[in-house]
Amino acid sequence: MATAFEPRIVGFLCRWCSYPGADLAGTSRIRYPPSLRIIRVPCSGRVDPLFVLKAFREGADGVMVLGCHPADCHYLEGNYHARRRYALMHRLLDYVGIERDRLLVEWVSAAEGGRFAQLVTAFTNRVRELGPRGGIPIDRAD
Amino acid sequence: MGREEGFQLIEQIRGKARELLEGKQISCFIGYEQGTRGRARPAFIYDPQEVERLIWDGRCTHNLTVYLHQFKAPVKRGEPPPRVGILVKPCDARSLNILLHEKQIDRARVYVIGLTCEGLAADGQLLERCQRCSERVPVVYDLLLGEKPTMIGQEDYADVTEIERMSPAQRLAFWAREFDRCIRCYACRQACPACYCFECVAEQLDPPWMSIAIDLPQKQFFHVMRAYHLAGRCAGCNACEEACPMGIPLSLLNRKIAREVEALFGYRAGQDAITPPPLATFKKEEDVPL
Repeated sequence: MATAFEPRIVGFLCRWCSYPGADLAGTSRIRYPPSLRIIRVPCSGRVDPLFVLKAFREGADGVMVLGCHPADCHYLEGNYHARRRYALMHRLLDYVGIERDRLLVEWVSAAEGGRFAQLVTAFTNRVRELGPRGGIPIDRAD
Repeated sequence: MGREEGFQLIEQIRGKARELLEGKQISCFIGYEQGTRGRARPAFIYDPQEVERLIWDGRCTHNLTVYLHQFKAPVKRGEPPPRVGILVKPCDARSLNILLHEKQIDRARVYVIGLTCEGLAADGQLLERCQRCSERVPVVYDLLLGEKPTMIGQEDYADVTEIERMSPAQRLAFWAREFDRCIRCYACRQACPACYCFECVAEQLDPPWMSIAIDLPQKQFFHVMRAYHLAGRCAGCNACEEACPMGIPLSLLNRKIAREVEALFGYRAGQDAITPPPLATFKKEEDVPL
């Protein structure tokens, strides 16, 4: 039975901005794809890059990390740390063959329900284009 | 390094080690000695009479700073930790700076003999990493030995660029082939001076980051995790790659990150013991391209 590919996306959303942003999208009845599985975290600075790596290992097709806009962090500097970490993580993942577009790091405030829905829609479409991440092909030399 | 000069250098190293040990300034000197099968191996000299065991030549590739971790704790309770002497090449000196910055060792507890380095040549052939190395004088030392070198290598990241040019699918396949050989012996981690976590993610049971399965996703996770943990902390001594029994090109990962760290944050690991590594700090008004 052939079914259309629907990406599985894991989203790490900061408790202070992005999660309420997603909530606002919901209460405002804005539609966005059901591909996103949200995990609420205290801060984007809490999202250890290993979370992202683990999500990919466990079969996620895409990962989103959303936090407060720079200068808006509830803990003052969590998102600044996240910004540096993910700048590097992006490049490292890309280097080992996990396409750059499979990881999205963005800033969404609690008032940006519409923008949240837009981001999720655009990201889902992009990951759908990229296709399933699937298993890692091995071209054994022996 | 001529034969005669090399001989003189060994005598200088032995002489200084003897002086330090006899004067009880240090309790142990970490250097190199003749090992089995014509190889060099790390030597731990406690007795001034035994300094004759010390050697120095192109086979001495090990990064000895990894052994400093064994001298962090006092031998007897209540005593200060032992003071040690150590031989460092320019590449090792940068990892020493990392350890000093991370407060793993007290600068006063280690006597550093720095060696200028023309690059290591085991069988007349300069090591690949030494051809790329532009550092010929250690960044930290108490005593500097050796002639001031003239030859300077050039790091051009040609091999890293080659992988960057591949398509994502090709890169995935390339790394799958490399990581697939991994037997999870963790030799890379053990050989690395910057890998000193009391409990490594690879073995942590709570939370269980990794399973003990020797399957590709776990191995990929391990290597990417390790590379990431070394981001901005790897001095590029290549000890991991040299320790790997399966010949996995770990330097390709580490040097990729080193290159990005330098491009993004203008930081080179271990140049001094003061500047914090880039992932331990941030600037509010910086433009970090995500």
